[in-house]
Amino acid sequence: MIRFTLATTSEGATQSVGGALGALALPGDVVLLSGDLGAGKTQLTKGIAAALGVIEPVTSPTFNILRVHEGRLPLHHFDLYRLERASELEDLDYWGTLEADGISVVEWGDRFAEAMPDECVSVTIAILSDEGRSLELDGRGARGESLVGAWAAACEGLLGVSVSAERGV
Amino acid sequence: MLLLALDTSTEVTSVALARVEGDSLELLGGQSVDAPRAALSRVLPMAASLLAQAGLSACDLDGVVVGRGPGSFTGVRIGVASAKGLAHGLGVPLWGVGTLDAIAQGFADDDVTLAVVGDAMRGEVYPALFTCGGGRVQRLTPDLVAKPDVAVRRFAQHGGRLLLVGNGLKKYAPVFADGLGDAATLADESRQAPSPGGLILAWVAARDADELGDGDPGAVLPVYTRLSDAEEAERDRAGLPRLESPDSGVAGSDVAQDGTSEVEAG
Repeated sequence: MIRFTLATTSEGATQSVGGALGALALPGDVVLLSGDLGAGKTQLTKGIAAALGVIEPVTSPTFNILRVHEGRLPLHHFDLYRLERASELEDLDYWGTLEADGISVVEWGDRFAEAMPDECVSVTIAILSDEGRSLELDGRGARGESLVGAWAAACEGLLGVSVSAERGV
Repeated sequence: MLLLALDTSTEVTSVALARVEGDSLELLGGQSVDAPRAALSRVLPMAASLLAQAGLSACDLDGVVVGRGPGSFTGVRIGVASAKGLAHGLGVPLWGVGTLDAIAQGFADDDVTLAVVGDAMRGEVYPALFTCGGGRVQRLTPDLVAKPDVAVRRFAQHGGRLLLVGNGLKKYAPVFADGLGDAATLADESRQAPSPGGLILAWVAARDADELGDGDPGAVLPVYTRLSDAEEAERDRAGLPRLESPDSGVAGSDVAQDGTSEVEAG
């Protein structure tokens, strides 16, 4: 597994990190987001959505659980916070949606082990200060590793973003 | 008798309206549409429009037939639940047919050994072998779920030339092509889902084999072939052995219907 750690200095910087991913994402890509309330999971998703050409506002689908936005590719935005059991993932057609022709972003993706596919990128966001955040990016599977590498490279030089890499975690 | 058949187990929603009397079969109407994750909004309007086009109403139906999987977990549930509602409401029998059997019926005149590869998602497939030819289809293997490389080994063990079909090939065609080499040919993608005619033929084949059951809508069960993760984890925690037949999700049905579903261990 390859892990990158990013530090961002503002909401805008977190969004631009998302934008870098949105520009690289291909159908079937899955991004799991974890981190405390207010850490910036939705900010990152807003950046991904903007880069996909989504025009409508993007908010956390805490009560909807899944919201689909049309862009260059469909963006399937999940929030698993309110699910109680992993079996409820089947009720959502979770795996069918992940493997459909779009990009899936899953907030609270660490809630159930079953929610993590073999190929994905997982992002853990931690609050460093009022505005400062750290983002730990892990690539899982061949596609996850190549996507996370390209993503971290695309973040080099973004305003308010610093990148460091760690191999063979 | 007038039959309405439907299947929503794959990305394709298929509906058929047919009159069957003994050996005579007349397909009055049929439609298959590509409707990924849209089966729920499509299946009943499609049925209504087939009936209207034939100048008939739902009250004319003598029975309902449903493809009970295996396929997409959600798709299978949509199909089985819709069919149960229809049959209960109309007070007519409901019969289940295998979705992979209905696909195979589309090859009844092809004179091939057919290897159906359904997409089970999460890196697995539903492999099943059939011999087809002379208007007849015979199933050689039960429904199960397996990793693609395991399915390739099982197909290779069978030997001979195979015609491959199924929506699992969208993701895994290279695995099967590499593993089976010259022994395998891919069927046209348009034949990867149950056709309206295939659904009706699967019902006729089950009737002729005396495998239709009594038509009680409550007794028709989905074919899932795999326990939900939660059920597997609970059984593992409790130190229980893996189940031979998964829970169908239907209350009071601890035993899967006529042993047609089985779980591949591990």
